Amino acid sequence: MVGPSFDPTPGDAPSGTTSAADGAESASGSSGQSGSPGPRSITPTTVKDLRDAVTTGTVLIRGTGTATTWGAPVRDPRTTVSLTGMDRVLDHRPADMTVYVQGGIRLDVLQAELATRGQWLPYDPARSEATIGGLLATGDAGPRRLGYGSLRELVIGATMVFPDGAIAKSGGHVIKNVAGYDLAKLCHGSLGTLGVVAELVLRVHPLPQTSRTVMVRDVNTEAAQRLAWALTRSATEPTAIEWCEPEQVLAVRFDGTSDGAAARAAAARTLLSGSLAELDHDESESFWFSHAARVIAEPGDTVLRAATRPGVDPGLVRALAAWAEHSGVKAMLTCSPATGGYTVRVTGGDAKAHAELVKNWRASVEAVGGFVMLRRRRPGVDAMVESWGRAPGGVEVMRRVKGNFDPENRFAPGRFAPWF
Amino acid sequence: MDRDSALTAVLTDATAACGPTLRVLSGAAERRAYDTDALTAHRVQPGLVLLPASREQVAPIVRACLRHGVPYVARGAGTGLSGGALPAESGVVIALARLNRILEVDPDRRIAIVEPGVTNAAISAAAAEHDLYYAPDPSSQIVCTIGGNVAENSGGAHCLKYGFTSHHVLAVETVLPDGSVAVLGSDDIEAPCYDAPGYDLRGVFVGAEGTCGVATRIAVRLLRTPEVVRTLVADFPDVAAACDTVSAVIAAGIVPAAIEMMDNLAIRACEDAVHAGYDRQAAASLIIELDGPGQECAELFEQVSGLCSAHGCTRLRIAADAAERAAIWAGRKAAFAAMGRLSPEFLLQDGVVPRTRLTEALGGIARLSAAAGLRVANVFHAGDGNLHPLVLYRAADGEQPAAERLAADIAELCVALGGSLSGEHGIGVDKACSMPKMFSAADLTAMDRLRAAFDPSGLCNPGKVFPTPALCGEARAGAYQPHPLEETGKIQRW
Ligand SMILES: Cc1cc2nc3c(=O)[nH]c(=O)nc-3n(C[C@H](O)[C@H](O)[C@H](O)COP(=O)(O)OP(=O)(O)OC[C@H]3O[C@@H](n4cnc5c(N)ncnc54)[C@H](O)[C@@H]3O)c2cc1C
Repeated sequence: MVGPSFDPTPGDAPSGTTSAADGAESASGSSGQSGSPGPRSITPTTVKDLRDAVTTGTVLIRGTGTATTWGAPVRDPRTTVSLTGMDRVLDHRPADMTVYVQGGIRLDVLQAELATRGQWLPYDPARSEATIGGLLATGDAGPRRLGYGSLRELVIGATMVFPDGAIAKSGGHVIKNVAGYDLAKLCHGSLGTLGVVAELVLRVHPLPQTSRTVMVRDVNTEAAQRLAWALTRSATEPTAIEWCEPEQVLAVRFDGTSDGAAARAAAARTLLSGSLAELDHDESESFWFSHAARVIAEPGDTVLRAATRPGVDPGLVRALAAWAEHSGVKAMLTCSPATGGYTVRVTGGDAKAHAELVKNWRASVEAVGGFVMLRRRRPGVDAMVESWGRAPGGVEVMRRVKGNFDPENRFAPGRFAPWF
Repeated sequence: MDRDSALTAVLTDATAACGPTLRVLSGAAERRAYDTDALTAHRVQPGLVLLPASREQVAPIVRACLRHGVPYVARGAGTGLSGGALPAESGVVIALARLNRILEVDPDRRIAIVEPGVTNAAISAAAAEHDLYYAPDPSSQIVCTIGGNVAENSGGAHCLKYGFTSHHVLAVETVLPDGSVAVLGSDDIEAPCYDAPGYDLRGVFVGAEGTCGVATRIAVRLLRTPEVVRTLVADFPDVAAACDTVSAVIAAGIVPAAIEMMDNLAIRACEDAVHAGYDRQAAASLIIELDGPGQECAELFEQVSGLCSAHGCTRLRIAADAAERAAIWAGRKAAFAAMGRLSPEFLLQDGVVPRTRLTEALGGIARLSAAAGLRVANVFHAGDGNLHPLVLYRAADGEQPAAERLAADIAELCVALGGSLSGEHGIGVDKACSMPKMFSAADLTAMDRLRAAFDPSGLCNPGKVFPTPALCGEARAGAYQPHPLEETGKIQRW
């Protein structure tokens, strides 16, 4: 029953307390149900120990702890299971372009390993130090989602540990496979509420020879929209298009062979008017690094993530600026026009002001058919606004899925409140 | 209530809800046309066939089936190769052929919103004026429907580079088996999201073989037509050399749009049928296609041609123009139809092996084929290791049982080599009994739990994907048993 590195230290546990810097989760971190022993933290190193760690009590699954604040706070987890002890590459098959890893491996570590064979996982979420299992569970994606898809498309096999202790696999080691239901899809976006992603098989790609970025300055909302469509209609095949406000910068990324990426960047420049700059490989890397930092934000900030149909909706951008001004906070936006993602970082002002902005802008986004979730919040915000707004279609099925896999609601209870 | 009166009740309710535009096929002869898909070895007579005139008619039909406890199956064009659209005994077929409108093509967002009965090829045709296309390209694309593609997570030759149906479906409006209507992957089909929050139910629905509901509208992603396309056919003196070339291309860091392989038996059948200019003497041929921006495509095409030569290619034919490229593909895509020239009957398998084990797999198939005394032709998606062995037989000579055994053995050989039972055709009834070779009881239980969350009453396309005692017998020999070392993480199953 007890994992190899069982650590009963009561203070060291749930996200709410360990990540005090985030200050966001209201989880007390103290006792579970009355009469039960205090919280504990376990770092298993095998699937079997992992299974033994999760079969009783409320469970919070944790990777490197970069997203413990995503979604609604988890109520009183008794056991925090850290996946950081399951951080190995089990089998890299360069010739098959697949890699088999444990769920707790960090993305940056994996990328470094793959790079030694000229390969990479074409996936660039802001949190590069997050674990791969955690990234699947958060459904996170970065700017290159446009060019390469999200993690759900790169996972070809998975081993999951479910609340009843079942160790189940789906998919396999081959890049093409339709046998059985794809359970990994179920874990995508599940935020630790269904099962633990213990192992994954991923499809990897050859590293592009180079990456270039074209930057356009002074791009207002309308221009961002126009230029984004000009790019997607062209044959230049950008792998990322991002627009930042209030800076009004549009950044467009091209990956490929040295000559090819250069030729496409040049072709793109003729489509894009205005104040242009072209970044070479190293400058490009450092620009995207700072872009990631901005998406991650800082403890005490509130971070909203909106998903809408593709486009930069001028109404939403204006609404954000207006509501921010109304509440006396600063809102910084990064938008992926071609895939319809918006990340908003809110700074300044108190919790009440943050909550007000969340409520107001959420209403604007929902009016155009989108969704807004909280990834972080200033302490106190939870008491005033829900972490989740309108639910996507099929939420009744999600509820039944949760009930079928976790009938006692032990895995990350509360994470999807108020949906379920 | 017995099934006959239940069917009558379904019909009464459905016609009351839908009115006279609902087309009803209840005569025995009419119904017989729906007793099978392209896996014609399996036939079951449905009790009733309903062809809704609009997507609004689908939900009342599903609710009527639910109310009266009658199983139902959605049907597109019936080209499925695993028995996915096979009806339940005296069940209802909901045929979606009339829901064939393309509702919207948005060239900026690069999204098309379509009804489920639209053919795969029609989407690309509608998008062509904007230099856009729908990427997954099953060989059956002229007739198969997007609803069927979604259910099977269909693939095609160009999925090596561009991914399968699942990668291209943003949202699915579906009538869930509980009779409610939900848009998975968004909430509004006209505002499909790339990354809607919550569990990825859209991802589960795609590839669930019609067991999680009936799709009524689908939002798909469109891609920009590539600037340049280059295609070659390379002949090799033996299959191993062709397989090695595939590995070499991939190892060079090149992801072609497609790499297809045909062995001699397949080459001869295709050439006789289509006269596409293949060399009937070649032991194996590769079709390799690269596409994308002009500069890169030219660079990489040079490299690929060089690798073919370095691996002993005996003839390299480069398509001079679009017409020649089309002829090459016409030959390849006609492969299954062409098999009729070699044999009155054949069974098609769809197993996948890791690309690096292709030579081994083909050797294994040759051995199994010799042992069974039946010929096997191979034409397949080499780039992603997806085999399509065609087991040729004569039913009139009583060869069917042996052919079925050989086909199942080949699928299971693929699993033994670390692969999968199916790359694109689905499990359906065809391979359900082999599922325990690939998945443990725990795996199948988890999948079944998921199924029950979508379909608590079990009426939506029952008897598919998972082994049932009725289909496979009570205790199937050789079922999957996890090795004790696997449980401790010392060895891996895949
Ligand atoms: C000559 C030939 C070549 C082929 N080549 C390929 C190939 O290259 N790649 C490939 O992947 N497949 C191929 N196939 C298989 C087949 O064409 C695909 O599986 C296709 O997606 C089936 O589409 P359909 O419309 O015919 O569906 P059907 O056969 O009618 O149904 C297939 C499944 O989809 C379900 N379904 C249909 N419509 C809906 C809906 N609206 N909602 C929910 N479920 C639904 C059915 O219940 C069934 O389970 C080929 C078949 C043939 C005959």
